[in-house]
Amino acid sequence: MADDASSSSACTGNLIDNSINQDELIMKQQREIEKEISESIPLVGDLEPLSSLEKEYNEDPVYLLKIKDLTAKYKSMRRTRPDGNCFFRAFSYAYLEHLLTNKEEFDKFYEIAKNSKEILVALGFPQFTVEDFYETFMEVVQRVGEHAGGSPDELDSIREELHSKFNKQAYSDYIVVYLRLITSGQLQTQHDFYQNFIEGPRTVTEFCRQEVEPMYKESDHIHIIALSNALNAGVRVKYMDRGEGSQVIAHDFPDGVKPLVHLLYRPGHYDILYA
Amino acid sequence: MAEKYNTKCPGVKRLMREAIELAEATDEYCARPLEDNLFEWHFTVRGPRGTDFEDGIYHGRILLPKEYPMHPPHIILLTPNGRFEINKKICLSISGHHPETWQPSWSIRTALLALIAFMPSPAEGTIGSLDYTPAERKALAKKSTSWACPQCGDVTALLSSTAAKPPTEEEQTVLNQIAFKGEEEQVKPPAEPVPEPQNIEFTPQVMESSDSTTSFLDQLTEILVALLVGAIGIFIYRRWDAFATSESTEL
Repeated sequence: MADDASSSSACTGNLIDNSINQDELIMKQQREIEKEISESIPLVGDLEPLSSLEKEYNEDPVYLLKIKDLTAKYKSMRRTRPDGNCFFRAFSYAYLEHLLTNKEEFDKFYEIAKNSKEILVALGFPQFTVEDFYETFMEVVQRVGEHAGGSPDELDSIREELHSKFNKQAYSDYIVVYLRLITSGQLQTQHDFYQNFIEGPRTVTEFCRQEVEPMYKESDHIHIIALSNALNAGVRVKYMDRGEGSQVIAHDFPDGVKPLVHLLYRPGHYDILYA
Repeated sequence: MAEKYNTKCPGVKRLMREAIELAEATDEYCARPLEDNLFEWHFTVRGPRGTDFEDGIYHGRILLPKEYPMHPPHIILLTPNGRFEINKKICLSISGHHPETWQPSWSIRTALLALIAFMPSPAEGTIGSLDYTPAERKALAKKSTSWACPQCGDVTALLSSTAAKPPTEEEQTVLNQIAFKGEEEQVKPPAEPVPEPQNIEFTPQVMESSDSTTSFLDQLTEILVALLVGAIGIFIYRRWDAFATSESTEL
């Protein structure tokens, strides 16, 4: 094997070029496979018991211990498609779902949502397209508002409607886009504060253009902090990874606000948790 | 057209709004969907002032992916211009980044303004780019005004004298970052009749350009195939060599 490696360095440039091509082909194929797997998972899945996680890790003692810890506080979960938009999709689904049973919180959120467009336009986002996303977003929000605090039957039917909207690619993505815009707006309005979170020489605006506004870009702490602050909506994220200990560590955003949305983080992905 | 599409679908609603926004032609750009296809548009842009393209009027197609506006539109230039290959899909990207940096809050207007702004930038061997001399580009620009699209007619009649809404400061910074480059694979020839230039003098120009595109691609494919065959050859040779040395007695 070692011999193979050393001899290949003596090969012609042609062969090296070719191997780069091969690498690119393999990577392209890899991406396509990932895309295919990802697309076979619903944008937002049905409610399932946490025991489904155990099956996933049934030969992994580290994860099994942590799942046990998790089941002490949560009973079920809802998986989301791992397409880079999962934080935004999981958050908006869980938050709107919660608002159905919390009219007071809904009214507070509605005011913030209603005023969000003006903030974005004032920041220089193109009015024409912001309006487009805003309208579709508010259409869904208003449907939630019409039924918030309603009878159990009413809630069941609106939950179904919400679920179906979130699983229609176009609608679902429009909601994600608008939340990305709100997040970007928050980062830019408070840029002095958020600049500290950004590594490297990028400005907050550049960071927003490259990491927040484009679709499929994964969310980091900074995205969660900004969005939860912009909406003043509490999120608890349970971090489950291969780290030491048997406990799943929780982080609340923003600090000190009662969490209404509970998310499960596994490296690179967010799902929704239910007590 | 409305009855053909589900107007509840956000992407369709969006394109219809864009069609209304762009309905009135300006002196710099205009674009409108084809009569029978909301996902294919034709556009016309005036070459940017103070450049080799300033006398030119360029026409082309915009192909909207079904995921629009989540994915960027593709642009195909039909008028020979000396900067971009014609009949070839080119797409937007932020300079130095991947095409996924397209933002859903951009629009067809953004794409057209960015295209105009990007025309004078150096070709630098990017796929889909042409590096014609200033004189050639100027000559093509002059000829471009007599070019006509079989669907839209005379290109000079498509632009109006209405001044275009100037880009905002924010928009301008975005526009300066957008780059265009060709896609790896060649676009299939358009389904509709290939535009026939009215001006006879013009014909060879068009033929030549599209011919050179195909032959270039053919060559590229040939080179790639040759490389692959070569690599396999070397691989087999090396294996054979190893085999031969270890089992030399039998050979």
